[in-house]
Amino acid sequence: MRKVMYLEFERCIGCRACQAACRECGGHDAKERNYVEYVDFFENRQTYPMLCMQCKDPACARVCPANAIQITEEGVVLSAMEEKCIGCRNCTFGCPFGIPKFDFEENKMYKCDMCYDRTQHEIAPMCASVCPSDAIRFIDHDEMMDLRRRRTQMNLIEGKKPSENNKWDYVPEFFGVYSD
Amino acid sequence: MSQLEKSFYSKSSMYSFIVVVILFMSMWIGTGQFSHMDWMLFGYMVSTFIFFIGMTVRLTSWIMRPATHEVIKRSIQKMKSKNSQKRNGKAIFKTLIDNILLQKYIFKRGVYRGIQHWLIAWGCIGSLAITFGLTLGWMHFKLVDSSTYQMVVFNIPTIQMAADGWLAQMFFEGLNITASMLLIGLAMAIIRRIRDKDLKVTQRAEFDLFPLYLLLAVTLTGLFLTVSYKLLGGWMHPQLALIHQITVVVFLVYFPFGKLVHLPMRPMAASVPMNYQETPGVDTRDCSGCGELYSNDEQIEDVKAILGAQAFDLKNDEGDWLADYCPACRRKLRVMSQLNLPKGAGKAAPVQTNNGIHMPGFGRKRSEDFYQPAHSGKEEL
Repeated sequence: MRKVMYLEFERCIGCRACQAACRECGGHDAKERNYVEYVDFFENRQTYPMLCMQCKDPACARVCPANAIQITEEGVVLSAMEEKCIGCRNCTFGCPFGIPKFDFEENKMYKCDMCYDRTQHEIAPMCASVCPSDAIRFIDHDEMMDLRRRRTQMNLIEGKKPSENNKWDYVPEFFGVYSD
Repeated sequence: MSQLEKSFYSKSSMYSFIVVVILFMSMWIGTGQFSHMDWMLFGYMVSTFIFFIGMTVRLTSWIMRPATHEVIKRSIQKMKSKNSQKRNGKAIFKTLIDNILLQKYIFKRGVYRGIQHWLIAWGCIGSLAITFGLTLGWMHFKLVDSSTYQMVVFNIPTIQMAADGWLAQMFFEGLNITASMLLIGLAMAIIRRIRDKDLKVTQRAEFDLFPLYLLLAVTLTGLFLTVSYKLLGGWMHPQLALIHQITVVVFLVYFPFGKLVHLPMRPMAASVPMNYQETPGVDTRDCSGCGELYSNDEQIEDVKAILGAQAFDLKNDEGDWLADYCPACRRKLRVMSQLNLPKGAGKAAPVQTNNGIHMPGFGRKRSEDFYQPAHSGKEEL
């Protein structure tokens, strides 16, 4: 898969179209697997979308005692295999990003699988295909690198420079609010 | 134990050896020093041994995984602890009944799926039990007098029954009953696999479909044996028996290495409520971020141990672990650190720009020295 998911949290407008789309995806059983949450509800209405990172070495799969979480050859981390999942919820506590969800009724874990039926054919996942503000995008790797480079250039507009011991000040805080 | 282990090539070879010896001894006892061997079942017997060796190798490597090992260690520790033995027994018993015997959670995924899985599962377990019992000579039937059969289990004579009574019929038709259960379940499963488009997303021919068709082949050839001797006067019976034997041998050799191996693994679910839920469905540990209850101490301890065993460094700069936070707090931590607002950076300020227009969003307050004239302060920037 040459395409990548590209998230820009600050572009999120909180419409939750991605969650509605996620519920419609085949095999998702009308339950959304992504998150849209407030950064600080008492401060402002800024939201952010959250999806699975599809780790190369996923902690969720490593903490699974049943070996139920499988990774496809394209690198997509799938939900726990239904026949193996013993419903212990270790994955929800092992994941450093808090992604896996657990269905207590059906006693199984489910998580963002990047709409594997679509993305394996390089079709954008449901959430990315409906996002009106491009907070979630499914783009070529080259395009992603280009966007990252442009984000760094935006620092010049903001007047930030990296200092010794703190390169993170230089990492862009926002992107795309201005047109070029 | 470690001394014994060293004399073997690996753990799994040691356990396989032990299992083979136990099976052989049980045969020796069951068949009365091999005097009641059923040589018709010789092929089944060899493949049964392969089945048990494969199962041992598979389960040993599974239990050696850090995650599985940790959960089993916790289960043993829980079972040993004296003060909660009554609760443990109750928790295991209830989960075994609900999850394994009745498989309630599958019925909640769909009644069709529930019926289908229940029929296949218990059809399989029943058939395997009868097959192993007969091929390894654990039980056989003896004619006491002209109209009475006696069941002999491990060479110990047990119940007697009339040769044409209902109990005898139940025993003789045992495999036919389980095969009929399997046939219905398999037909339902195959129809589901054909009709349900959602399933086709992740199903794999060699993993999901092969065992289904293999089981169907075993069931059909087995049932056709009955049809042959009951209705067709034994037509083609030896050939059919051979075909059935071939399918069963393939099935038994495949069993430990494919999808079906969830049969011995899945019962570990019975230990989950005992290990991790003091009261089922109630969390007791609070998140170190927001204070919400999200899990309990033992589970988080285990998760940390498993991650530590596999060199996952999920410790924060502050010294606490990501596992100490609830999933919602972890999502927020990730977003904030990606947006340059790590914990302790204060609240998100508007994004500040050179042209003075403040954009809403996630910015960080500039330090005061940013506003100092360039010549007055540090030159190195």
